[in-house]
Amino acid sequence: MKLLKTGRWITAVGLALLAGVYVRALAFTPVERFQGPAQKIFYVHVPAAWCAMLAMGLVGIGGILYLLLKDPRFDRFGEASAEVGTAFSMVMLTTGPIWAKPIWGTWWTWDARLTLTLFLFLLFLGYLLLRGAVTDPGLRARYSAVVGICGLVLLPFIHLSVYFFRTLHPEPIVLKPSAPSLPGPMLITLLFSFGVFTLLYVGFVVQRYALAELREQAEAAHA
Amino acid sequence: MPDTVPQNAGFMIAAYTAAAVILVGYAVLLYRRSLKP
Repeated sequence: MKLLKTGRWITAVGLALLAGVYVRALAFTPVERFQGPAQKIFYVHVPAAWCAMLAMGLVGIGGILYLLLKDPRFDRFGEASAEVGTAFSMVMLTTGPIWAKPIWGTWWTWDARLTLTLFLFLLFLGYLLLRGAVTDPGLRARYSAVVGICGLVLLPFIHLSVYFFRTLHPEPIVLKPSAPSLPGPMLITLLFSFGVFTLLYVGFVVQRYALAELREQAEAAHA
Repeated sequence: MPDTVPQNAGFMIAAYTAAAVILVGYAVLLYRRSLKP
């Protein structure tokens, strides 16, 4: 219960700071002259994509650790991270097309980056559906770990797809070998947003992990 | 360089609203789940 309350507090602080991100992005960050106000979608789209990929990366690492150590805490963490990653994927896949329409002239295109991020979302859904379909806890944890590791393997392909394939999606401007190519005020807003989205990810996962723990305790008490 | 900045604030508002609805909605969902016995 203490963990659940901690998660709630972190989430509450994260949501309050998210309001701060909105104010900073909308009122105190310059408008990009070529794309107009739609460019500001960047400050929610990119951090949401970061959190979705962070979530899947940690699901995969949790899966590896579960297979090595057979500790159910890693399986529980994977379950929590996958559900939270689904929420952030939804933000990424909603804000992306809304940004694409005024800039590219289309909501969606089946190029490598967009298709792989859709695949990431479907992998999250598949992971959660699998967990719902397998009743045996040991089998469920093993199968889930394998799907999580597949997701972890997918991540470098998503990040590097803009270099390997011809795509409408721009190349990374922050997570790249050279210095970020972004003016100071925009970079500060982006980094602030990265921090707040990561805090929200932590708050959500802590809550979701605590809920899974409580559910397992209740199931054990009934058995 | 364009003569005028594109007027597309509606898309920005839509995206920010969608992100807030999803994130706040998920936070509420977790809170409601924690209240169930």
